Amino acid sequence: MGAFDNRISRRFMLQAGGVALGSWALAGCVSPTAGDSEASGSAASSPLKPDSGDVTGELTILDDNTNLVFQDGLIDVFQEQTGITVKTYEMGNFNDLHDRFATLFAAQDSSFDIIMTWAGWSAEFGKAGWLQELDSSALPSDLIRPALDAVSWDSKVYGMPKFASVQTMFWNKEHFSAAGLDPDTVPENWDDFVAAAKACTTADHYGYCCDMGNPAGAYQNYLRALLLAGGELYDADWNPQLNSEAGIEGLTKMVELLNLHKAMDPASLQITNASDLNDVFAQGNTSIVFNWPFQWAAATKDGAKTTAATTGNGLIPGINVRSASIDGSEGYAINVNSPNKQAALKWLQFASSATAQAQIVGQEGWFPVSQTTLDDPATAEALPVVTTYKQSTDYVTKRYGTPWSSELDQLLSVQVNQAMNQQITPEEALNNAQEELKPIVERYMA
Amino acid sequence: MTRARVSVGERQDRRFAIAASAPAVLTICALFIYPMVYAVVLSLYHLNDKLPAQTRFVGLGNYAQLLGDQDFIHALGRTATFCVFTVFGGVALAIGIAVLLNVKFRGRTITRVLLLVPWAVPPVVNGIMWKLIFDGSYGVANEVLMAVGLTDTRIQWLATPKLALAVLIFAELWKLTPFLALMALASIQSIPSNVYRAAMIDGANAWQRFWRVTLPNMRGTVMFLLIVQSMWSIKVFDSIYVLTGGTGGPAEATTTINFLAYLTTFSYLDRGYGAAMSIAIMVIVCLVAVFWVLLLGRRKDA
Repeated sequence: MGAFDNRISRRFMLQAGGVALGSWALAGCVSPTAGDSEASGSAASSPLKPDSGDVTGELTILDDNTNLVFQDGLIDVFQEQTGITVKTYEMGNFNDLHDRFATLFAAQDSSFDIIMTWAGWSAEFGKAGWLQELDSSALPSDLIRPALDAVSWDSKVYGMPKFASVQTMFWNKEHFSAAGLDPDTVPENWDDFVAAAKACTTADHYGYCCDMGNPAGAYQNYLRALLLAGGELYDADWNPQLNSEAGIEGLTKMVELLNLHKAMDPASLQITNASDLNDVFAQGNTSIVFNWPFQWAAATKDGAKTTAATTGNGLIPGINVRSASIDGSEGYAINVNSPNKQAALKWLQFASSATAQAQIVGQEGWFPVSQTTLDDPATAEALPVVTTYKQSTDYVTKRYGTPWSSELDQLLSVQVNQAMNQQITPEEALNNAQEELKPIVERYMA
Repeated sequence: MTRARVSVGERQDRRFAIAASAPAVLTICALFIYPMVYAVVLSLYHLNDKLPAQTRFVGLGNYAQLLGDQDFIHALGRTATFCVFTVFGGVALAIGIAVLLNVKFRGRTITRVLLLVPWAVPPVVNGIMWKLIFDGSYGVANEVLMAVGLTDTRIQWLATPKLALAVLIFAELWKLTPFLALMALASIQSIPSNVYRAAMIDGANAWQRFWRVTLPNMRGTVMFLLIVQSMWSIKVFDSIYVLTGGTGGPAEATTTINFLAYLTTFSYLDRGYGAAMSIAIMVIVCLVAVFWVLLLGRRKDA
């Protein structure tokens, strides 16, 4: 009993009680749901309409690194036109931005009024109530559909597109000539493409290269193969179709390209973004890429081993269809916690205006977001690949941005990587991915 | 049990001590205890930012889910593999280096200084450096291997699951071993030289002296090295993030439990479940530390 007293005294009990009480009080201060999206949702509940009066303010913008034209002059133009100051314009690596945005929003931080977005993030952050919904009166009337889809989810518009983007095929005409191929003829089906890629493969370089070194890249490459095989990622009720016949065939073709035909650069499994793929092609280290429109600018700039004369551009050859592609349009969205929403809306409108679009197209090689700019002959003159873009509108172009994009990218990348490394068959990989994805979609669609 | 009476002076001393330590205590509360309590509370909720309408209190539900979560179990396996190599390999390597550096030779001082360089390099720089070295297309590693004829094709180190984990282990060992080696060296140098002399008189060779004199006298240090290296290995994050471009590696080959917690919290925005993972990781770290203390902490007198 004495020993027991020594161990548990009245003082000890009081101290323990004090600690417990303190922790309970502290826990009381901690409400994980306080001020969450539901609350912010109220701020976002009414779609933002443009204010007809004078709008002033200071803006902070967090963009990715795909556009240099804003800091290279367009910000000055915007400030002159509107009288609104851009206090800070920061560019981050695309691969790092998602988690940065998530932290920013979860903390209800208003450090940034405007963020860049694309289809997946518009769906994800829009559904979370973190992006300001826009009223239709705030949108220009001539926005093209794929660009608008990049800033929308579930019939709600959460931003304004800054450029449109669709993958097309680029090839090195010199490599084609050296391989005995006609440098001006684009392969029109998968078999012709494989034959060209094999013919172009030499001791120095592979015929084909892609970027599937991270989850987003794996998803994009699989989705493109699925669409080229004539498939759909979801049915009308959002049921996943990963392991459809088209999906399995598409992935099988990719596996064969790497392991059977040995025409795909194995480094494709390590390349994590399209900018690196740009350089691989522009330095003559591969013959064919399926890449975004800014590949043209990279291939024709000073220092590149390719030029406008040696770079071919055409539709991506299909497996079971003539062609198909994936959309990569990007835009801007307004932080729901921003105190400068009207000023931010002015920026969004400026980014999709003819002034900004002309520079984005001419200097960076992205496609315009407005039909007016797209139809302008000067656009095709500044950017020859626009011709291919117009052709691609005759074929399926999708991205399937959803609130569960991050989970899908991650789980699919695991299976795709294992299939590409021949640890499992494409069918096994996609069956696994399908089983993993189904409950996730059900949770979101509940 | 009668309490000793406290004089006025003693009481004033106590008040002063409390007042003096209050800023530090409050700072610790703000920077450590509050976030930890917040994390614990968060872990008791189903809270996915993308599904705000489904937020609800689930008690220990997240922890129960962890037990059957194949992703977490696989990540735990990968973490265990990683730890076996980095903890045992790292500590063994460190002791080996320390023993060598304890031997007098020309240039020993500069060697000791150079040993610190990897430890001084910031983790992110370390990650980028190894990422460049092991790049499949342009990396020095492939160039060297091809130059000496060990391979005729470029190895895709960071695109192949097993190789990616091997590269991560290698990079982590390179970064942490110097610190461990210096700690081990300090411990070895504190062993009295007459003990070695006595052992030599008794006819012990170098190997026997290491096993019978050096290691037993390093017991406390070895325990410390095992604890800190285990903690670092379980909590590894920055090297994985940089080496794999924030993805967790090919086929999640380098997704350890800590990285999985990060993905769950920041990529999937599942903050409740991510917090539960983080608390579980903290418990695992504590258990491992206790294990080493129980195993090596008490000297058994034979």
